[in-house]
Amino acid sequence: MLKGFGNFLIKELKELMRDPKILIGMIIIPVLMFPILGAVMSFSMQSAQESASKTTVLILNRDNGEDSVQFIAFLNSSLKTILVSVSTIDDAVPLLSKYNATEIIEIPSDFSQNVTARTPVYVGFYSVFSGAGLVEGIGSSIVDTLVQRFNRDVAPDVIVPRQSVIIKGKVVDGVSLQVLSSLMISQAIALPITMMILLTYSMQIAATSVAMEKEEKTLETVLTLPMDRFAILMGKLSGSIIVAGVSAVAYMFGFNYYLGSVSGFASGGSSVDLASLGLVPSFLGYLLLGVSLFVTLLSALALAVILSAFAENVRSAQSLVSYVYLLVFIPSFVLMYLDINALPVWLRVVLYAIPYSHPIIASKAVTMGDYLTAGLGIVYVTAFTLIIMYVASRLFATEKILTAKLRFRGLRKGSKTPVEEMG
Amino acid sequence: MLRLSGVSGLSIAVEARSVVKVFANIRALDGLDFSVHAGEIFGLIGPNGAGKTTALRIISTLLLPTSGNLRVFDLDVVQKAAEVRKIITYLPEEAGAYPNLSGREYLEFMAKFTTKNKDELREMVKEAAEICGLGERLKDRAKTFSKGMKRRLLVARALMSKPKLAVLDEPTSGLDVLHSYHVREIIKRYVQEHGVTVVLSSHNMLEVEHLCERVSLLNRGKIVAEGEPKQLKEKFGSANLEEVFAKVVGFA
Repeated sequence: MLKGFGNFLIKELKELMRDPKILIGMIIIPVLMFPILGAVMSFSMQSAQESASKTTVLILNRDNGEDSVQFIAFLNSSLKTILVSVSTIDDAVPLLSKYNATEIIEIPSDFSQNVTARTPVYVGFYSVFSGAGLVEGIGSSIVDTLVQRFNRDVAPDVIVPRQSVIIKGKVVDGVSLQVLSSLMISQAIALPITMMILLTYSMQIAATSVAMEKEEKTLETVLTLPMDRFAILMGKLSGSIIVAGVSAVAYMFGFNYYLGSVSGFASGGSSVDLASLGLVPSFLGYLLLGVSLFVTLLSALALAVILSAFAENVRSAQSLVSYVYLLVFIPSFVLMYLDINALPVWLRVVLYAIPYSHPIIASKAVTMGDYLTAGLGIVYVTAFTLIIMYVASRLFATEKILTAKLRFRGLRKGSKTPVEEMG
Repeated sequence: MLRLSGVSGLSIAVEARSVVKVFANIRALDGLDFSVHAGEIFGLIGPNGAGKTTALRIISTLLLPTSGNLRVFDLDVVQKAAEVRKIITYLPEEAGAYPNLSGREYLEFMAKFTTKNKDELREMVKEAAEICGLGERLKDRAKTFSKGMKRRLLVARALMSKPKLAVLDEPTSGLDVLHSYHVREIIKRYVQEHGVTVVLSSHNMLEVEHLCERVSLLNRGKIVAEGEPKQLKEKFGSANLEEVFAKVVGFA
C-alpha cells in the first residue's frame, strides 16, 4: 500500500535537513527561543517581585490610641512605612513620589476605639495605579495579606479595607487596584499578541513576495523595466502592509470579542469604566500609537525584504525571516505581563534597542498620558527604519538583489556558484 | 547615435568594449568586444558557461561590468541605466509570469510601463495577443499555462512595445517545433516592420542560422569568431554553424 514510502521519506528528510536555513530556522531557533524566553520571563518576574516587595507605604494616622501604633508597628515588620502628617489625602498624594511609595493607608480617628471594642473600622487604602502590568498589584497584595493577618490576630474583620486607587495623581474612590489591574492586563495582552501576529505574518508576506519573484523567475524581467527600483521596493512593502493590515484588523476583531468575554471574569462582575478613569488613550495617544505601529511594521517589512534578497526560493526566505522572530516574541511576552520600568537596567536597554518593543511600550505609555516615551520610541524606530530602508533600496538598486546569497560555509557542500548561472 | 566606422548609413545599437565580469574568483567575461548594428538580429552563441547570459544581463542593465564599457544606442549601461531601460526589453531564459495574474492582466501590467495612453495600451495588448496566439486562454491565470504557453506570452510581452532593442535569451526555449517556427517568424517580422534590433542567445544552431544576420561565437568569456553565418561556414569549411561551433571550441 505504501510502497516506496520509506525511500521517499529518507530523501525528503535529507533534502530538508541538509538545507542549513531550515535546520537553523526550524530546529535551532525554536530550541533556543523557548529557553531564552523562559529565562528572560523568569528573571524579569523575579526582579519585579523583589522590587515590589520593597514597597513603601505612607501612613496617615488620625488616631491617637495605642492600637493604631500597634497596627503601624505590625505593618512595619514587613514593609517600610513612613508617617506623614497632612490634612487631606489629596495633600498626601504629592508625597508618594518624594518617598518612592506606592500606597497610602489612612487610619481613621476612631481606629483604636473600634479595635478595642472589636467592632469593624473602615481603613482607607489608596494604591497607585501605574499600568505596570502583572506586578502592579504585588505591593497592594502584601498590604492585604498583612491586614488579614492582623484581623486574624485581633478579631475577625475588625479592619475593613476601603479600597481606592490613585490614577495620574488623582484619587478615585471605590475602585480596587486588583480589579483595575486585571482589566488592564486583559487589555495589555491584546496589543502584544496582535503585534506578534501582525509582524510575523507581514514579514512572511514581504519575504515571500520577493522570493516568489525569484522562484517564479519574474524578478529579472521586473528589474529591466523602465521604473524606479525604489518603486519596486515600496510596491512590495505597501502590498505587504495592506494585506497584513487587513489581517490585523480581522485578528483584532476576533481578539476583542474574546477579550470582551474574558474581561467579564477579570472584573468579577464589577462595572469599571476605564474611559471615565482616564485609562483610555486620548486622540493624540491613539495617533502616536498608530504611528509607532506603522514605523515598526515598515522596519520589519524592510528587514524581511533584505533577508529574502539572500534567499533563492520561498522556503529559504521563510526560514531566513524566522530568525528574526525571537526579536518579536521576547519583547511581546515580557512586556505583556511586566512594566519595562520594573526590569533591571540591562534588560531595559536590550528591550529599548529592539524596535519591535516600542509599540507595546507606547501603548502603555499613552494610556498613562506619557507621550514623551511614545514619541522617543517613534524617533528611534524611524531612525532604525530609515537605515533599513536605505540598505534595502541600495540592495534593489544594485545587482546584489540578483546575486546575493547567504552562504553557510562548511555546512553547505556543493553550493551553486555564479559561474553555473552565467550561461 | 553612433555611426559605424567605414560603413555609411549604419548605426550601432550595442557596442561592447573590453567588457570583463568577475563573480567571486570566476572570470565570466574576459574582455568582450562586439558591436550590434541597429535593425539587425544578432546572435550570441556558445557552450554552457561561455558567458552568453552574463553578456545579455549586462546589456539589460541587470549586472554591472567589472571593467570595460558597454553602450546601448550610445547610452552607457552603467551611467544611463534608467535611460537604457526605456528603450529595451529583456526576455530571460528562465523567465516566468505572475501565476495569479491572467495572461491578459500580465500583458496589461507590462504595457503600463511603456504607455499611459489607454488606446495605445489596448493596441499593444491586442498585438501581444496576436503574437502569442493564446486566444481565449489569455483570460486564464498564468499558473494554468504550459511551459510553451508561458514562453509565448513572454515573447509577446518582449515584442509588443516595439522596443529599440530586444534582448532575448533563448527565445524559443521550451517551445515545440511549430511554436518555435511561429516565434522566429514573429521576431523576423518585427525587425523588418518596426526596425527593432534583436540580440539573442541560442543553443539551436538552426535557429541562429535562420534568424541571425550576424553571430558571435563565445567561449570562456571571449569572442572566438564573429561574422555572418554564411561567412563563418565558408571560413571554417563547414556545412553548418554546428560544425563551425565545434571546430572553434575545439570539439572537432
